[in-house]
Amino acid sequence: MTLITDTTSMTPTPLDVPPAAEPLPKRSRSKIHVGFWIALAWVAALLLMAIFADQLSFIRLPTAAVKNHGRSTAGYKLGPGWNAWFGVDSTGRDVFSKVIYGARTTLKVGLWSTVIGLLVGTFMGLIAGYFKGTYDRVISIVVDIMLAVPPLVLAIIIVYRVGDLQQDRPGNPGILKWFTRTEQITVVLSLLAIAPLARIVRALTMSLAQRDFVLAARSVGAKNFRIITREILPNLIPAMMSVAFTGLALLISAEAALAFLGFSVETGTPTWGKMINASYRDMDKAWWATLFPSLVLFLTVLAFNVIGDRIARHYDIREAAL
Amino acid sequence: MRYAAQKTAQFLIVFVIVTFGVLVAMRLGVNDPARRMLGGTATQANIDAVTAKYHLNSDYFTQYFYWVKNMLTLDLGRSEIFSTDVRTLLRQKVPTTLLLTIYAVVLALLIALPVAVLSAYRRDGLFDKSAGFFSFAFVSIPGVVLGILLLLVFSIHFHWFPANSNKIYPWDNPLQSAKNFFLPTLTLALPISAIFTRLLRGDMIMTLQSDFITLARAKGVSPQRVLWRHALRSSVFSLLTSVGLQLSGLLGGAVLVESLFGLNGLGQMLLESLLRGDLLVIQTATAILVVGVVFTNLAIDLLYAVVDPRIRLARALG
Repeated sequence: MTLITDTTSMTPTPLDVPPAAEPLPKRSRSKIHVGFWIALAWVAALLLMAIFADQLSFIRLPTAAVKNHGRSTAGYKLGPGWNAWFGVDSTGRDVFSKVIYGARTTLKVGLWSTVIGLLVGTFMGLIAGYFKGTYDRVISIVVDIMLAVPPLVLAIIIVYRVGDLQQDRPGNPGILKWFTRTEQITVVLSLLAIAPLARIVRALTMSLAQRDFVLAARSVGAKNFRIITREILPNLIPAMMSVAFTGLALLISAEAALAFLGFSVETGTPTWGKMINASYRDMDKAWWATLFPSLVLFLTVLAFNVIGDRIARHYDIREAAL
Repeated sequence: MRYAAQKTAQFLIVFVIVTFGVLVAMRLGVNDPARRMLGGTATQANIDAVTAKYHLNSDYFTQYFYWVKNMLTLDLGRSEIFSTDVRTLLRQKVPTTLLLTIYAVVLALLIALPVAVLSAYRRDGLFDKSAGFFSFAFVSIPGVVLGILLLLVFSIHFHWFPANSNKIYPWDNPLQSAKNFFLPTLTLALPISAIFTRLLRGDMIMTLQSDFITLARAKGVSPQRVLWRHALRSSVFSLLTSVGLQLSGLLGGAVLVESLFGLNGLGQMLLESLLRGDLLVIQTATAILVVGVVFTNLAIDLLYAVVDPRIRLARALG
């Protein structure tokens, strides 16, 4: 009996040959890379500053006008220095505190959309990969459609049209007013995350479903629901943790890109992309107002990528076919 | 043959759903689409004419049917907002985006191929380590940030390249065109070259461990030839898939890069027509983007068969 199952499971395509044939690199599990801790420290620092920004005395309110020797600093009149660490922007507001308050919005939107994307994407991928057949075909077409539209274009169309429907003009419905801009951006970003996540989960589920422990569970009478939730899902978690961080990094970049194109959260709430958009045309006279938000954005995205990458290496996950 | 039919059917389904979806999305809740397409100053007669021409007052399906019919007869209509034929408009905008995308993919491959092959050849060596570091950084850098940094360094600090890349085609002025397209291309190319490098390096390392490589070395084929012919050829599959997948990201990224560098291409056109409610242009532009993305994926699919005889055989039998 064991011999038969062995031969059937050992005849996949050459790509599926388990990597056990080659010697494992020595460093993989033993120690965690120092880059991981630096990345974690960066994210933690940013998160703490963003959460406690109102209580921390070195962070001004993003709406407070910065004074230099009693004079207004509007129009980039103050560069980076002791008074304002990252300088001031065109309206004379502190770039550093705007960056910190911007982190609030960016991280909130990024985290929520990752969570929603993960839930829906994992569900779709599990159904397609486990049940196959018609379910798989329908879900695959949905995924194909979502991947065929360039992500930014999809996001722009949705955000623009929702904003349009909300307006009270003659001949315009003025509906969906409960749907705030922050929520719209969150939903749009999670839409972008669903398709790639569903693809990854589908592929993983398909290979897991052929493993012996699934066969064992089924042979003792386990139902599909139990197999999915108790056998397959737990085995997906390490990979999903890694993908979640990488996805978070991608969604934060996407949020910045959208904001840069003018599709961002409510006016008055700063985000990094918005700050870049507002000041990049004046880069020749005030580089700081653009460079600092850009660098913080880059370092944050980098940090999440490092975390995701390290988790993947720690659990020895092969890079998913992205 | 069955394979081709299946692929075509899949393409048609994706195309119809996406374009119909865009049509519905753009008309949903708009009482008088023609008035928006024509702008505020349009007369009632104009509005009626446009409504009749594009069947804007009928249901979504009828309107969609006539849109497809017009597309098939290459009658793309006229955009009042840009005050030209859509066809003329596309002839102005599409080459910019197309050039940008092609430049970016070619540049990315030119960077990625040698870097990945050398990295795999001397795995964990100094070159591999530093290439790994840089490719990780470039995978992570958001397009906006990379564009801003390039602008800041090369355009504002050194004045080597113009900040506002008014588009100039290579057939008009090759030097100026290369100068204008350089920074936008680099912004798009660096991140995807990093993705390509990582993929190809991994596959090359796997390939270099297989028996046929040892055999080739044993019978006296030079290391260069083994590396660039034998190993590379059987390692490019993930890379090919990735080129296709990156393309849709690239076309979307073009919207951003065009906006950042002031290149007046398809992305800019899409953004502008969206903001001004030009249903027709959005519809057609999205259709072109989707066709572009799907066709490239199809082409790459066919390319597999060219690269690998085993796939050719399997498809011929299936």
